[in-house]
Amino acid sequence: MEFDFFLAIAIFALVYALLIWDKINRAVVALLGASALIVLGVINQEAAIEGVDFNTIGLLIGMMIIVFISQKTGMFQYIAIKGAKISKGDPWRILVSLSIVTAVLSALLDNVTTVLLTVPITLLITEELEVSPYPFLVSQILMSNIGGTATLIGDPPNIMIGSATGLTFMDFVFGVGPVVPLVAVGTLIPLKLMYGKSFRVSDERKKRIMEFRESEALTDRPLMIKCLAVLGLVIGGFMLQRQLHLEPATIALFGAAILLFISKEDLHGVMEKVEWTSIFFFVGLFIVVHGLIEVGFIRLMADMMLEATGGRLITTGFVILWGSAIASSIVDNIPFVATMIPLIKGMAPSFGGDAAVLPLWWSLSLGACLGGNGTIIGASANVVVAGIAHRNGHEIKFFKFMLIAYPLMLFSIAIATVYMYIRYLG
Amino acid sequence: MTAASIMTKEVLTIPDSGTMLDAFRLLKEKKVRQIPVLDGQNRVMGVITPRALMKAILPKYISDGLVADVKFAPELPDFVSNIDSLARKKVSDLMERDFVAVGPETSTMEVAALLVNPEKHADSVVVMDDGNRLLGIISPWDVFRRLWEYSEKKKKE
Repeated sequence: MEFDFFLAIAIFALVYALLIWDKINRAVVALLGASALIVLGVINQEAAIEGVDFNTIGLLIGMMIIVFISQKTGMFQYIAIKGAKISKGDPWRILVSLSIVTAVLSALLDNVTTVLLTVPITLLITEELEVSPYPFLVSQILMSNIGGTATLIGDPPNIMIGSATGLTFMDFVFGVGPVVPLVAVGTLIPLKLMYGKSFRVSDERKKRIMEFRESEALTDRPLMIKCLAVLGLVIGGFMLQRQLHLEPATIALFGAAILLFISKEDLHGVMEKVEWTSIFFFVGLFIVVHGLIEVGFIRLMADMMLEATGGRLITTGFVILWGSAIASSIVDNIPFVATMIPLIKGMAPSFGGDAAVLPLWWSLSLGACLGGNGTIIGASANVVVAGIAHRNGHEIKFFKFMLIAYPLMLFSIAIATVYMYIRYLG
Repeated sequence: MTAASIMTKEVLTIPDSGTMLDAFRLLKEKKVRQIPVLDGQNRVMGVITPRALMKAILPKYISDGLVADVKFAPELPDFVSNIDSLARKKVSDLMERDFVAVGPETSTMEVAALLVNPEKHADSVVVMDDGNRLLGIISPWDVFRRLWEYSEKKKKE
């Protein structure tokens, strides 16, 4: 038992170190760690499978299928272009509208898909305007993570938290949703002060933006109608989750199955676009963390944390909020949240049960999602935007980005702190 | 039938020290699918293809396929003038180093298979010796022409 205890911790530490090192694919790292736990006899295969949260896995796969088919219709690009045109070609207002579009889409789609769809439009628009895309891209990175915080399906930490606790889509909308617009405004105002004056654009260039024909972006209207119907059904299902007594994974996979049926899309083509590497990363990670639970390490950490915070909810809440923000700015927030979930669950009885620790879940969600904004490697969407920018001759450098993003991230956590204090912890 | 027997021996080539302007001048005179790029020792270093040039004048977010269909957008102000900056670039910076090449003894069937391989998307196949020196080039039409000639000859015999 003693030996298993240290073996589980060693494997977990090694997996974490390799994830930070970031030279081996994260799915391979997680699967190696998970299978090592089983091969070395720390846990058996049955226990390992028990550790996998299939609700998270099902929700991710279901949404990936729906979003992949939907994005083929061009409707998300349509929204981005429409937003830019409402701004009448004024660069600052375009930045704001593209940021809002990014935030709203991120709340409903995953963040990486959102930036993959909107960033090319941003580059196209800034080239037409002949302005630097840098401020636009910085704003969109920040907004993708901020918007993703607002809903259960917006960001993987929320998916994992919702799945582990039974908190619903609407719980998230009411629990963390209200602070999201405040954080968005609190991010855009400093950006306006920094970049607002740098945009000088002639009327002729503004006119070019108005020449965009957004309706031409809609490449398949019949398919779009089907996708909108299914998206409406799925999001409606999420909203009525409690009344329907259905888990989010069921709703998402049901929606995906309906869309596959009515769209008659090539199944192999769609399945190839499901990000299996992410899925296997989640599976491996759940098992590695489950190893820690089985050997009693998480229990130990929960007790230590309770002792350190004196068992006070407010202290624990703020420690989780700030701790997960700082951790998530450096490491992937997915393994961090996967580890924190059993830890908070372990602390729940001391605070008086599951209902009492609700503020801790919101602290974890806000910290882990918003914390990703601190550095260019803080979240997957950041890395993807930096990659696209690099390919197109615009460098987003680590320290230059951090100089702007880290203070903004800390400011957003400060806003979240005030919000948490007023609503839950005061 | 071998590659050597169906290849075209007079090949339009360009030195790797040349500029794209030289390549454009060559393209003006003759219609070719791709131009092998040779170093001082006649070794093939790469090929210049119209597809690679097209990619070079498009923004990467379009040529990478992030927005494959841009019919909703007005033309970029810089797009037409991109050709001027392209002309100043060195051939060695724009050539595709990953081209399809075979030896002179390669069978016609293998050449044909390479030309239809969707992963290689080859416009033609370069024939070179062991030392990477250029011997000839085979276009898809070369394959057909020679096969047809062969079959006609056979019938007469």
